[in-house]
Amino acid sequence: MDPVSYIQSGTVTETSWRYVLGEMLWRDLIESLKEHPLSFTGLWCDGTYVHALFMQPDMQPLAASLLLENNRYPALSSARPVSAYYERMIFDLYGAEAMWCQDERPLVDHGLWSVRGPLSGTTDTSEKLPERHLVFQPSDEIMQAGGVKASSGPATGGLETPVYIALATDNGGQIRRAEAVNGYAHRGLAQRWHMSRIEEACRLSGRVAAGSSVAHQLAFCQAVEAACGQSVEEEVELLRVVLLEFERITHHLFALAAIARHAGASLVASQCMMFREKLLAVATPVLGSRLLMDHIVPGGVSLQQAAEAGELCRHLSELGEEFYPSLAALWRNYPGLSARLSDILCVDRSMCDRLGVDGPVLRAAGGEGDFRRLLWAYDGVWRFTTGREGGCAEDRVAVMVAETGESLRMLRDLGPRLGLTAGGRTELAVTDSEGIGVSEGPWGMVLYWVTLRSGRVERVYVRDPAAAALMVFEAALSGQDISDLELGRASLGVNAAAYDG
Amino acid sequence: MSLMRAVFDACFTGGGTRLKPAGPRWPLLLFHVDTGGCGGCGMELEALAAGACDMRGAGFGFVKAPQGADVLLITGALTRAMAPVIEAAWKSMPLPKGLICVGDCAFDGGFFTENYAVMGGVQRKVQIDLTIPGCPPPPQAVLDGLCSLFSQSEAEASL
Repeated sequence: MDPVSYIQSGTVTETSWRYVLGEMLWRDLIESLKEHPLSFTGLWCDGTYVHALFMQPDMQPLAASLLLENNRYPALSSARPVSAYYERMIFDLYGAEAMWCQDERPLVDHGLWSVRGPLSGTTDTSEKLPERHLVFQPSDEIMQAGGVKASSGPATGGLETPVYIALATDNGGQIRRAEAVNGYAHRGLAQRWHMSRIEEACRLSGRVAAGSSVAHQLAFCQAVEAACGQSVEEEVELLRVVLLEFERITHHLFALAAIARHAGASLVASQCMMFREKLLAVATPVLGSRLLMDHIVPGGVSLQQAAEAGELCRHLSELGEEFYPSLAALWRNYPGLSARLSDILCVDRSMCDRLGVDGPVLRAAGGEGDFRRLLWAYDGVWRFTTGREGGCAEDRVAVMVAETGESLRMLRDLGPRLGLTAGGRTELAVTDSEGIGVSEGPWGMVLYWVTLRSGRVERVYVRDPAAAALMVFEAALSGQDISDLELGRASLGVNAAAYDG
Repeated sequence: MSLMRAVFDACFTGGGTRLKPAGPRWPLLLFHVDTGGCGGCGMELEALAAGACDMRGAGFGFVKAPQGADVLLITGALTRAMAPVIEAAWKSMPLPKGLICVGDCAFDGGFFTENYAVMGGVQRKVQIDLTIPGCPPPPQAVLDGLCSLFSQSEAEASL
């Protein structure tokens, strides 16, 4: 039997794509996953059950739920290594133990929270743990690699989100093993979402990870709309695509600037940021904000001047035609930049498949993994453009530069299709149900699984590409020079803010 | 957590011995710490530092170590994991020094009020020398806020 058959032989729930499995069936599922490429999306807990979500080839969701027994469950990480991220998070938040987990390091709780297992429901909230510094506990693997010889973070004076990275290095500064410590930016989003109002939950989803706010809020709203069994109007879909592609452009320019800066190409970095600012100067008066937070709302969009969106697309594409070709040429021809980025921080296709990496990192390694092809709003607009297979930092840069140009072209094509109706807004009839929403964010797939109850959001489960990025970052650093640390972080999409939910 | 209050006025008011040069012709050096947010304020600071506005010309710059900083500039809701980090950064900064909050989260938690992992901003915990509100504040608003420090100092010096 294949994994799909195992899941579908469980007890069907009120949600057509979710089944409750017994422990033996769950174990059979794990064994079958070792032989089958069914796409694993994430693993979450509600304190009573753990829920594993998979995506079938036609992008239909399929979920398996298992009742916790003595607060334990068989781990999925033996079959899907990226599941270790979710298992570590579940242990920190709920105290539920994944038996035979492949990675037992704490993920976000390092003994500094006011309570342990804050979402377990059995926590004594009067317990006050002593305030102290986070003390890094090196794993056996890093000790075998020679122990911690260098470290970075969480306060570097840089402007990125906080993470601590411990490094075992040889005497020449080559990294033998890297381990990242997270939790510095953990804000307890799962708890905040629980029984929140839908609008409030949407605003929170826009603040999971800045730079991906549109992707998060789009996936959240799609999940809510799917749970309600409703869809938005065609022009709203198009406006959402415009926002998503504009976010990709500004995000990629920001990420490319960081890569160029860490590679020592300050001129390239400043050109990226200058182009980004020119685009933002035109877009902000029409859209209403620079980082595009709170423009996608349940049932519609919220823009300062939505009727001007078509004209905005034309202006942005004109700016693109003026500045993009020279910027792309600068990336290709800047002295020494290609040599600096080639053959470092390589992430091959097999590593991507093993760790569940998607987005530009996968596309630079010869994979596809672009969920835009499945959305009708992209019909006739989206096209597959990569062609890179090396998987090194240079390949990722080439993919992001190409995607920036493609997104500008999409805006040019979408502009004439936008009318003056401002999209309108669909009133949602909220019922007790659950739904899933997916969007293609700048670093890959963002997925929301939302459960509604009594007119509110009962639970939100989030899948952000940062989870796989963390694992691939640790793996890709081995063998690299210590000076490539920040370059790896910038080119792989490591974002400490996203390790939440 | 206890943050010692800065002797910030040595830099911006007329009295006392100045340990560091101050004024528009001298850069005021900022040490940034993201104390646990979505990263949006950090992105806008990055845009500011990259030249969206003339930050250096206005007399400000970022440093990579707190030992060389005049001001601790924080963004993000204060998480319990980051509280000891900013306390250590503050203690290692030389006198005189000051504290600036950029964004709603840094001030009062914004969307991230107090819970098991978050202390909910530094308001009511320490004395803040300047707050620049917004979610996130755009680069020009950050620069305008920073420049207001100098206008404050000039106004106080003329009294």
